[in-house]
Amino acid sequence: MSDMTELAEPVETGHQMRDEIRSISDRSRARRQVRSRIMVVLCAIALSVTAVPLVLLLFQLFNRGLPVVLHTGFYTQLPQTPSLIAPNATGGVSNAILGTLVLTLYASVMAIPVGVLVGVYLAESDSKLAATLRVISQTMAGAPSILMGLFAFSFVVRDLHVGFSAIAGSFALAVLMLPVIVISSEIAVRGVPHTLREAGLALGAKPHKVSMKIVLPAAMTGIVTGIILAISRAIGETAPVLLVIGGGYINSWKPLDPVSALPLSIYENAKSEWPSLRTEVWGIALVLVVFVFVLSLSARIWASRKQQAR
Amino acid sequence: MSIVIPPPPDFTTHEGGGAEFNSATPSRTWYHYVLILASIVFAAVSVGFIGTILWNALPDFEHHTGTLLGGNGWQSPAGPFGGLAMIVGTLETSVVALVIAVVIGLGTSISIVFLLPRRFRNVVATLVELLAAVPSVVYGLWGFLVLAPWMLKTVIPWLNSWPFAKELFGNPGQQDGQSLLLASIVLAVMILPTFVAISREVISVVPNDLIEASLSLGATRWQMIREVVLPTAKIGLFGATFLALARATGETVAVALIAGGVANVQYHLLYPGTSIASWIATEFGEAQGNEISALMALGVLLMLVNFGLSLISRWLVSRQRKVLAVV
Amino acid sequence: MDQEFMAQVETKVVVPTESPQRGAAAMQLKGVAVSFHGRVAVRDCTFDVTKNRVTSLIGPSGSGKTTLLRALNRLHDLTPGAKVAGQILLEGTDIYRGDITVTELRTRVGMVFQRPNPFPTMSIYENAVSGLRFNGVKKKSILDEAAETSLKSAALWDSVQSRLKVAASNLSGGEQQRLCIARALAMDPEVLLMDEPTSALDPIATLKIEELMTELKKRVTVIIVTHNMQQAARISDDCAFLLMGEDRAGELIEFDTTEKIFNNPIDPRTLDYTLGRFG
Repeated sequence: MSDMTELAEPVETGHQMRDEIRSISDRSRARRQVRSRIMVVLCAIALSVTAVPLVLLLFQLFNRGLPVVLHTGFYTQLPQTPSLIAPNATGGVSNAILGTLVLTLYASVMAIPVGVLVGVYLAESDSKLAATLRVISQTMAGAPSILMGLFAFSFVVRDLHVGFSAIAGSFALAVLMLPVIVISSEIAVRGVPHTLREAGLALGAKPHKVSMKIVLPAAMTGIVTGIILAISRAIGETAPVLLVIGGGYINSWKPLDPVSALPLSIYENAKSEWPSLRTEVWGIALVLVVFVFVLSLSARIWASRKQQAR
Repeated sequence: MSIVIPPPPDFTTHEGGGAEFNSATPSRTWYHYVLILASIVFAAVSVGFIGTILWNALPDFEHHTGTLLGGNGWQSPAGPFGGLAMIVGTLETSVVALVIAVVIGLGTSISIVFLLPRRFRNVVATLVELLAAVPSVVYGLWGFLVLAPWMLKTVIPWLNSWPFAKELFGNPGQQDGQSLLLASIVLAVMILPTFVAISREVISVVPNDLIEASLSLGATRWQMIREVVLPTAKIGLFGATFLALARATGETVAVALIAGGVANVQYHLLYPGTSIASWIATEFGEAQGNEISALMALGVLLMLVNFGLSLISRWLVSRQRKVLAVV
Repeated sequence: MDQEFMAQVETKVVVPTESPQRGAAAMQLKGVAVSFHGRVAVRDCTFDVTKNRVTSLIGPSGSGKTTLLRALNRLHDLTPGAKVAGQILLEGTDIYRGDITVTELRTRVGMVFQRPNPFPTMSIYENAVSGLRFNGVKKKSILDEAAETSLKSAALWDSVQSRLKVAASNLSGGEQQRLCIARALAMDPEVLLMDEPTSALDPIATLKIEELMTELKKRVTVIIVTHNMQQAARISDDCAFLLMGEDRAGELIEFDTTEKIFNNPIDPRTLDYTLGRFG
C-alpha cells in the first residue's frame, strides 16, 4: 500500500508518449491489416486445398466406378483373367465381397468381446496392469498395419501351421481393431456420469452389478460407435491381409480356406496390365469406399442422435 | 491407417474412477475375473505381437545388422539385404509429406476454428473425417492411375522449366510417373486429416479469454492467431505433427503402388524409390528363409520408429492439456 | 411488504437537484441497444461518461451491464448475430459508423476482463508491451518506457522490476490482474473498460485494485462493471443502474452521480437495489 502514495507523483504527468505511440500505430495500421487479410485468405486457400483431393477422388470414383457397379455380374460372378482372345473378360468380384464380409465377421468375433471388456477394465481400475495396458493400447492403435500382417504370418500361418487362410487374415484385422475398441470403450465408460454410478451404489447394489446393469448400458452408444469405427477401419486395410489370406479365387466362408478381399483386389487389379481390369478396379474401389463411408457416417449419426436424446 | 484415433481420455478429472476395485473389501466376483482375463488376453496378444516380430528378426540382427542399417541393394533370394534405400526413402517421403501436410493443415484448422461460421464447422469436420476414412489402397489407386500420368504430363515438364530443378529433383525422362515425390504428395493427402483433426482440437481449446484480450489490445485477426493462439497451442501442435509423422512412416500400400518400388538410395525425389513398410509388403510374398528374417528386421525398425513417434506425440498432447489447465 | 415500502418512498419528496458541474465527456451513449439474433439484451442506454472520472455500471445479473460494456470497444463484432444500435461517441466520433477502424478504437479504449488473462506464453515484460507490439511499435526505448510507466501505474513495478523476464503465469491472481491493467494502460488509452475486474480475486487483492482506481482516473477515464455495490459506492464518481425489464432485456433505469444514486435516487427501484432488497 505504501508504494501507492509514492507512485502518485510520476503518474500524474500527462501523456507524452501517447502521440508517438498513436502515430506509429496509425502509420503501421494499413500494413498490419493488409497482412492480416492476406494471411486469412491464405488460410482459406489451405482449407480449399484440403477439400480438393476429396472432391477429385470422389468425382473420379463415381465417374469411373459407377458404370462398373451397375452390372449385377459384378457382384455375383467370380473373377476371370482376361486373355488375348477375350481381353474384356473380367468377371465379378463375388469372392472379394464375400471374403471381406467373412474376414470382418471373424475379426469382430475375436476382437469385440475382448476389446470391450478390456476397455471397461481400464475405465474402472487404476492398477499397474491397467496403466500399462493403457499405454500399450494407445501405442498399438497407431502401429503400422503391415506389422499385424507380419505377426499373423509368423504366428498363425507358419507357427500354428494354419496356412494362408481367412482365419489368419481376420486374426491380423482383430489385432488391428482391438486397441481401437479398447480406447473407445474406455472413453465411453469413463463418460458415464459419476452420479449415476453413485446412485446405484447408494441403493445398495453390488459394484459389479452397478457396472453391468447401469454403467455398461449407459456407455453402450460410445462403445458401439467405437466398434463401428474399428470395423470401418479394418474393412479398408490392405497391408495385413495382403501377407496372409492367400488371395483365393473361389467363394468360401470357411475359416481355413484362402480368401480374397476388396482392398486386395484393388491392389492387384491396379497393378495389372489389362485395361479391362484397370477399369473394373474403380468399381471395386467405389464399393469399398461406399462401405466405409456408410459405416463411419452411421457411427457419427448414431452417436450424435443418442447425444441429443439425453 | 485410416481412422483418426480418439484422443486419450483426460485422466486427471476421473481420479475416483477406480473406487470399486480398490475398496476395502474388494469385490472378487466372476465379473471381475472376466475383465482381468480379457485384459490378460489383450496383454498376451500385444506381447506376442512385439515378441514374434522381434524373434523372427533376430537371425538377421545377429548376423547382418550393419547391412540392414547401412547396406545399399537388396539381392533376393540369397542376400545381402541392405536396408539403407528403404530407410532413406521412408525419411524422404514422410518428411516431405509432413511439410506439405503441416502447412496446409495448419491453415485448414485455423480456417475451421476462426473463419467458418459455426454451423459449417461440423460439416467440414465430418468431411475431414471422411477424408480420413478413405482406405489407403484407394489413395494408392488414385495416385497410381490418375496422379502418376498427370505428374508425367504436367508436373514434371513444369518443374523442369525452373532453373536448378533438374539438379534438385532429378530428370527421369519418360518413365511411368511413379516417384518418391508423388508418394510424398499422396502421403500428405493421407496424413492431412490426422493432423487437422488434432490441431483443430488443440486450437479450438485455446481460451476465449486470451483471444478477446489480444483483440481488445488492438491486435488484427492474424496477430491474434500468430502471437497468441499458435504460441499457446504450440506443444499440442507439435504433438499433432509427430502423430502425423508416425502415420506417414507406417503407410504401406499407397506407397507400394506409387513410389516405384526400387531399392536404391535416391536423393532426387522425381526418381522412383521405396519405403520400409511398402518394401515389406511387396517383397514378402516371394520371400524365403533369410529374406523373411531381413524383412522382419525392417519391421522391427518400423515398429521402433512408429512407437517412438507416437509416444512423443502423446506426451506432447498431454503436456498441452496441462499447460491449458494452468491458464 | 413491498407496497408498504413503495408508499414510504413515494411520500419522500424527491427533488432532482441539478447535476454537478462536469468536465467534458470522454464517451457519450445515445439510445444504445445490443441484440443477439434479434433478441434484445440491453436497450435505451443514454448517458455521458465524463473524463477522468470513474463511472460504474451496476445492476442485478442479466441486466446487460457486461453486454453494454463490451459494446464500447466493439467486442461484439466477433459474435455472430450481434447487433449494436444507437450511437456511441468517443470524443465526438461514432465508434461504429464514424471514421475509425476497430483496431484503432481498441487502442484508445482498453479493456480489463473478469478473470486475469495474461498471455501464458509471454513474460511479464512481453505482456506489458503486447499491445504496443500489436500496434507496430518496435523501438526498444519506447517499449521499455511504456512498460515501466504502465507497470508503475498498475502499482506492480516495484514487485516485478527485478523479474520482468519471468513468465506471467508465476504471478499471483491479483498481480496477474494488475498486469492486465498495465497491459491495457501501456497504450495510454483515453478510456479503460473494466468488466468486474475483482470478481475472481481475494479481498486483499481486490482492495489493492480499488485503491489503484483513484490514481488511475487521473490518467484515464474508467468505466467499470461491478456486482458489488459497496465497491461501486467506494470507487465510482458516477453510476448507471441497469435492470432487466419485463421482456428480459436490460435497460437503463437511472444515471447520476454515485452519491445521488446511493443516497437520493429518483427511481424507487434504484433504492430497492442499493438497499439490497433484490439482486
